Amino acid sequence: MFFLGIDIGSSSSKAVLIDENKNILASAARNIGTGTNGPSIVVQEVLEAAGIARDQIQFTVVTGYGRVNYTQADKQITEISCHGKGIAHLIPGARTIIDIGGQDAKVIKLSQDGTVENFVMNEKCAAGTGRFLEVMARILNCNINELSDLSLKSKHDIIISNTCTVFAESEVISQLAGGASKEDVAKGADNAIASRVAGLARRIGIVPIVAMSGGVAMNPSVVASLSREIGEEITVAPHPQTVGALGAALFALEAYQKKEKN
Amino acid sequence: MADLKNMIAQLEQVALEPAKAVAGIKSEGKKVVGMFPLYLPEEIVYAAGMIPVGMWGGQTEIKLADRYLQSFCCSIIRADLEMGMRGTYNMLDGVIMATYCDTLKCVCEDWKVAVPQIPFIPMVYPQNRNIQPAIEYMKAEFSRVQAELEKIAGTTVTEEKLEAAWEVYEAYRAACRKFVKLVEKMPKTLNAKTRHLILKASWFMDKKVYTEKLNAIMEAIEAAPAEEFNGTKVVVEGIMTEPLALLDAFVENNVCIIADDLAHESRQFRTVGRTEGTVYERMAYRIADAKGDALLYEEMKTKGQFLIDLVKDSKADGVVVCMMKFCDPEEYDYPIFKVELEEAKVPMLYMEIEQKMDSVEPLKTRIQSFAEMLS
Repeated sequence: MFFLGIDIGSSSSKAVLIDENKNILASAARNIGTGTNGPSIVVQEVLEAAGIARDQIQFTVVTGYGRVNYTQADKQITEISCHGKGIAHLIPGARTIIDIGGQDAKVIKLSQDGTVENFVMNEKCAAGTGRFLEVMARILNCNINELSDLSLKSKHDIIISNTCTVFAESEVISQLAGGASKEDVAKGADNAIASRVAGLARRIGIVPIVAMSGGVAMNPSVVASLSREIGEEITVAPHPQTVGALGAALFALEAYQKKEKN
Repeated sequence: MADLKNMIAQLEQVALEPAKAVAGIKSEGKKVVGMFPLYLPEEIVYAAGMIPVGMWGGQTEIKLADRYLQSFCCSIIRADLEMGMRGTYNMLDGVIMATYCDTLKCVCEDWKVAVPQIPFIPMVYPQNRNIQPAIEYMKAEFSRVQAELEKIAGTTVTEEKLEAAWEVYEAYRAACRKFVKLVEKMPKTLNAKTRHLILKASWFMDKKVYTEKLNAIMEAIEAAPAEEFNGTKVVVEGIMTEPLALLDAFVENNVCIIADDLAHESRQFRTVGRTEGTVYERMAYRIADAKGDALLYEEMKTKGQFLIDLVKDSKADGVVVCMMKFCDPEEYDYPIFKVELEEAKVPMLYMEIEQKMDSVEPLKTRIQSFAEMLS
């Protein structure tokens, strides 16, 4: 039996296919999100990788920003619940999840049994999200994946003090014009994100084990800055970008089992 | 049931088209006086033969009001000033405004020059409400406001008229207190949006007429069978729960507002009036006796315990804080009651809202997540 989880984010689409024993059969991620053909592509990719057809899937759960407009799933569940479910499965004992996506940042508190106990999300502002890093990468004329390498070579601490991404952009341009190195600016951007997300996390309290999911977790420099900022070690989930989709697939399995039982 | 739905639809319509409702009052030859948020001496307006109507902003683009109020001011007050300047409120024969917060203090001055066509009456409530001089002071303020209103109404307000108005308002407040408790019986029919619209209608009607209609609705509810409900029950806290799309999110996720601590709703009617003294004394004591309200100063904050008790009494699953941007008094109180709710292990969702929101999608995710968390 096959169960599909789809996570349609603001800037990326992810899919995970599992079997009835919660084994991950295939996963896919593309950096195009809601309103694009990203969801169809990732679904097709996991089906092809597993060698099955769409009609062989017993239950599909969709999550993420684009979940409401996706009509081909059996159920939609929020990304908060799905990240909670995914992390509880991947990192047993995790109590705090930091998920930084393309457009938002969330901190989720899990109870001892792995269910969501509380959560906070950033307000409608790009500060402390993947979008902030995208803007920084553009200013530094590099690929977003190269930001981390740049940052690790930083020699001097610089502070990006503006919370607003738009104002931070002007601030960084001024710093570059004033002679700051690209490496130091990249590190400053990491620290800025870490500082904002740590503030969010402190609102609900940070309890170890702290896990991290979402695309930004693939940036080791941001993870290191964040770990330093909150004073806790951070365990990055394997394939952090697809944690939400995995949680959705696990919910799909549960929903199917519940349906069969009734 | 069809009758109940029709009666509810009538009030919903009033709330959805307030300008039409106010025009209806005007067509009967009555004058209307705008009540700038939050708590004002409506009884005096009513005793003067006029109808007090609510001014709780709206989803309007702010252009003109930016001249006076910065973007970090309360979105309700900005919208009110904008609509005043734009002429939307020109049907009002006067406006009463109180100085509950810094923004309101500024607007009291702004209004005189920005909206000169609508007569403005200030009302200043004392910071220390519970001491005897405060009661005497409020009585003096009420007398001053009465004199201003008499000029607009072209009539004299007598003690008998005040007494009659007080009775109308106490009956209205008692009816509303009973109504909010009836949500428990019909959480589907009285869903978050319907409940809000029914209560909102009171702001644009003669309170006597409104109370009759609300009582008729409640009779029908009492006669109807109770509805089964397997969703989430919450207490909402804040100034008000608009835009309406926000309430749609509650309904879509099967979240029922089982009780509220909103300035726009229960805080208007939850304090029972005293029975002794003159009408002005009773009005003053309604302000003095109010508890757990961020806009009414308390040396020892009681909101946290009030919310904990409300959750317990209403058997709610949690509290949703709807923080209206940028309400300073509410924001000051939040850290205090947050800790108390956490200690009492009351689940809480915090959301920042403003009346004109381009997208409520992030809020919908929060509400759905909260419902999933509590299910």
